[in-house]
Amino acid sequence: MEKDNIALYPGCSLETSSSHYMKSLKTVFSVLGIPFRIMNDWNCCGATSVKSIDYDLNLQLNHKNLALAEEQGIKELVVPCASCYHRLADAEYMLSKDEKRRTELNGKNDFPYKGQVKVRNILDFFVNVVGLDIISKNVKKPLSGLTVACYYGCLNTRVPLEQSFDTREYPMTMDMIVKALGANFIDWSYKTDCCGASLFITVNSIAEKLVGKILKDASLRGVDCVIVSCPMCQTNLDTKQKSIRSKNSIEQPLPVPFITQLMGLAFGCKPKDLGLNKNFVPVESILSSCSVVKNEDE
Amino acid sequence: MGITELEKRKILYKDTLLCYQCAKCSSGCPLVEEMDMYPHVVIHLASLGLERSVMNSETIWICASCYACAVKCPNDIEIPNIMNRLKQMALDEGFEPKRKDVYKFHKVFTDDILRRGKVHELRIMIEYNLRLGKLLKNATLAPKMLFKNKLHFIPPKAVKGFRKWVKKTS
Ligand code: SF4
Ligand code: SF4
Ligand code: SF4
Ligand code: SF4
Repeated sequence: MEKDNIALYPGCSLETSSSHYMKSLKTVFSVLGIPFRIMNDWNCCGATSVKSIDYDLNLQLNHKNLALAEEQGIKELVVPCASCYHRLADAEYMLSKDEKRRTELNGKNDFPYKGQVKVRNILDFFVNVVGLDIISKNVKKPLSGLTVACYYGCLNTRVPLEQSFDTREYPMTMDMIVKALGANFIDWSYKTDCCGASLFITVNSIAEKLVGKILKDASLRGVDCVIVSCPMCQTNLDTKQKSIRSKNSIEQPLPVPFITQLMGLAFGCKPKDLGLNKNFVPVESILSSCSVVKNEDE
Repeated sequence: MGITELEKRKILYKDTLLCYQCAKCSSGCPLVEEMDMYPHVVIHLASLGLERSVMNSETIWICASCYACAVKCPNDIEIPNIMNRLKQMALDEGFEPKRKDVYKFHKVFTDDILRRGKVHELRIMIEYNLRLGKLLKNATLAPKMLFKNKLHFIPPKAVKGFRKWVKKTS
């Protein structure tokens, strides 16, 4: 792994509503010996909204991001937000297919984009660039006894086939990371079901129904928590969980930590360095499921 | 710019032509219960050049762009991209968006990005509610997030050179 040309594209939500994702990423990168560099002057990817009403503008926004990353000497652009990843990967793909459009956009920008930046999903980065061996080597408190459901959401893996880093309909990268931390994962048909995205704000009743189904199934399978790697998934599954649980008669709270928060716990990092106080459903409780097993072992 | 109505229609036709109506897209769609027209019907009508009947549907706005259908389609038809194109054509041709609540959110979001290159989440929530005339419709979401200090009152700093870029490209 060439460390000098790795940088993060954080996206808007990691700077505000999901600062706990940013914090835990930073902590985990430091344990893994990866420099925590954030790309300069990035702009919003446009999410699902811009492309819904102006696809061309969406492509331009991300052409600008990619051109800028290239100008900054970045070869691996690591993207933690599933929605940002999907937009940046889409631009990477479309601009590689459409030479004419790329040249045209290059003319409008301060910098050209030559197609030399690799857009990396955070899961792809951990598994295929950092490596599961390095991850498991850093585990100080194995999460044995913990059973989790890995929730990928829709956009992490649903890119064109040539671009995909994992099976699009039944991905396993997050499950592999969980295994490297010593925890158990379950086979789960809901792992790529949609949580409703911005419908959570616009047509809340629909989104809550979707989230309800996801949480209900996870709880029926008796998992200790649901792991995510997308800030929007985390917000949707976590923020209003209490009322969603009561509507769906789910008794136990289901913590929704980011994969990086779980990694940090296994690496023995302090909760405050992982932003655990920002999760609505308390995460620390899952540690008791692990320690119970440990005490029995001793 | 540049691309004529006829060309737009041609692209739409070309991209939907391979559809053989297996309905795999509709059967895997998580939002199908909320739609007034099945996704495979949207594609079918578009491929027949009857897209005007689709532009008036709720479906194109309800679609969450989750791509579940696109990864399942045996003919690699990018259904959500087609839904997006239909939304844009509907707006261009002066159709009233059938789901104004969804349209307004996308609009508020897009306008906010154009302001400084990044979105200000709190502003989006407030402005969206104002434009819909339902202040704090999400009363349970925003205050909860404010309480955890997750929504900032102060907008993010503008991206360097962004306004200039917007002027130059538009
Ligand atoms: S997807 Fe969300 S977080 Fe990512 S850049 Fe866009 S608005 Fe910001
Ligand atoms: S699961 Fe929800 S938030 Fe996550 S990527 Fe899909 S729509 Fe977006
Ligand atoms: S899955 Fe593809 S081929 Fe089948 S009906 Fe849908 S769009 Fe047509
Ligand atoms: S992208 Fe739209 S049509 Fe396709 S499965 Fe998702 S919500 Fe349904």
